[in-house]
Amino acid sequence: MATLTRQDLNFGQVVADILCEFLEVAIHLILYVREVYPSGIFQKRKKYNVPVQMSCHPELNQYIQDTLHCIKPLIEKNEAEKVVVVIMDKEHHPVERFVFEISQPPLLSISSETLLSHVEQLLRAVILKISVCDAVLDTNPPGCTFTVLVHTRETATRNMEKVQVIKDFPWIVADEQEVHMEEAKLIPLKTMTSDILKNSSGGILD
Amino acid sequence: MDMDMDMDDLYLDNIDEFVNDQNKIVTYKWLSLTLGVHVNTAKQMLYHYLEQKRRESSGTPLHATYLVSGKFVENGSTCHKVSVVREDKLDAVKAKMDVTISVHVYSVQRAELKDSSPLYSTDYDAVKENLKNCSKYSAIRCAAAVPMASVELQKAQEVALVPPVEKEINKPRLNENTSATSKPSTKQPTGIMGMFASKNASKSQESSKEVKTEQKDDSSLVETSKTKPASKANPMSNFFGKPAQKKVDEKPSKSIKEETDGDSAASTTASVKLSQPSPKSEFAIKEERSKVSSALKAESKDTRNKSKRPEVVDSDDEKMDNQQKKRRRIKKPQPDSSDDEVVPDSPPVPTKQIPSPKKQVKREPVSHQESSEVKRRKRRRVLKSHTFVDEDGSFVTEKGYVSESYSESEEEPEPKSQAKDSSSLKQSFGKREEEKKEKSQKKTSASNKSTKQPSIMGFFQKK
Repeated sequence: MATLTRQDLNFGQVVADILCEFLEVAIHLILYVREVYPSGIFQKRKKYNVPVQMSCHPELNQYIQDTLHCIKPLIEKNEAEKVVVVIMDKEHHPVERFVFEISQPPLLSISSETLLSHVEQLLRAVILKISVCDAVLDTNPPGCTFTVLVHTRETATRNMEKVQVIKDFPWIVADEQEVHMEEAKLIPLKTMTSDILKNSSGGILD
Repeated sequence: MDMDMDMDDLYLDNIDEFVNDQNKIVTYKWLSLTLGVHVNTAKQMLYHYLEQKRRESSGTPLHATYLVSGKFVENGSTCHKVSVVREDKLDAVKAKMDVTISVHVYSVQRAELKDSSPLYSTDYDAVKENLKNCSKYSAIRCAAAVPMASVELQKAQEVALVPPVEKEINKPRLNENTSATSKPSTKQPTGIMGMFASKNASKSQESSKEVKTEQKDDSSLVETSKTKPASKANPMSNFFGKPAQKKVDEKPSKSIKEETDGDSAASTTASVKLSQPSPKSEFAIKEERSKVSSALKAESKDTRNKSKRPEVVDSDDEKMDNQQKKRRRIKKPQPDSSDDEVVPDSPPVPTKQIPSPKKQVKREPVSHQESSEVKRRKRRRVLKSHTFVDEDGSFVTEKGYVSESYSESEEEPEPKSQAKDSSSLKQSFGKREEEKKEKSQKKTSASNKSTKQPSIMGFFQKK
């Protein structure tokens, strides 16, 4: 396999692709495990050679895909610091947050196939951790909704507001109410470090 | 004796650490590979640990899953059933069995699992690392089961490739089609609730590679499961013929692999290839396929698929793609992913062979690989009957064949009709009836035009 380094044009794209695929699976899994939506809409699919639960609902899937489609350019340029999946109750107060911190190690290269399968293994572990997270989290109240927040570095958000990546899918600056949680406890779920990306995920609950 | 006691305590402490501190799922298989002990020892350790913790009744609650195996009578036939059940369902499952042969702890974890996917994931990496000797600690022994030498392995792979090649020759058009660019249709219709109701998932998550592999794998699977590769003149009937035969083959199965959780656990992976699942566990079939296909993924059939891809690339790509997907699906009626509780259409599907086209159609709504937009396009092009059967079984095949010939003979009007249909599909669910009317109008106009029985070549020649 060819060696790609940071300077290569499509290196960022490859990493962003991997990460966005992972985030899509993770979001679906979070929705399933935390019972945000009834489990009937989920079906088993395969990712990284293990079964995962993905939703069949077309609008939900489209929403998640659009969200990640907008996030992808930020990841490519290494401007996304954190991606947060927030679960909110009926009054739009956050009850839980799943934080994915993303950083790219300085020395980067995709040099061999074993590296990618190593990444696959690490991502599998993260997925497994999400599956068992309900041991440490309390049950959510009924009628929860979710949203995805992105914490970016610097002024990336200004560009996002100016240019709509997807038509009719605007991003807005999150309310303080949505971001801030009272008495938050942080439970780290999994940290993974590989040559191409670092990712730590944690659950924060009220 | 003291040493043994200490060792046991040590192991129990280990388990405690895994379960409570690391919040892991500890399956007996994972434990045996991690600690290097025989599986039976691992099972006993888990049992003792569970007992101890339950006696103490302190700390966080633990959940366990059990493996139950025994004789089970279903529809008059006795079979040996092995299932992984949650603790709360254990007694119910044991009561249903005629004879319970064995019950043992399968896993211990803090989390209450909603489905069995994490159980499989837990074992996956452990087994993968120990692939060569994963049965070192296993209790199942077979003297004849020895890994093949690499030479034998190559020969076996070559043999396995030959039957699918024959199949491909018999249906060259279909294969050409199926190996076309497999860009999943990314634009999913958002408003069609029918798709959602009939369990059709957006395909974008699945890699197209997997689907293609599965189609090829399925053709080999069908081969190995002794279905006659009856190459009829009409390639369409091949689709009908194969799954119908497969259904018949599956009926007289002795062993039923069933999971009360609704999912198949790691324990079924070993016996997937050997057992022929019953129609009742249709979902298990789908999952079987996915596991087998993942095992067969590395075969060179894939490369053959890929090499054919560049051949069929046009402006009509998407439609071709849809048709290809449609055909692929017909060939392989059960999609790779499986196990959904929400399967509205499949239970009533009859397993008779005669109304096999009808069955095909019923299965398509069940299939959750593609959007109905894709499905409908294919139906329109190739098996137009399907749309009708979907809604009203009485129409069945007659209409289908008429329209089929239409699609094969017509060239110019076809793309236009396709474009029109696809645009209408993007509208909401309520407009579905209009689409039907549209199609029926087109069909009547189409049937006027075609008077001969065209070959399927006509369809492709326009490219």
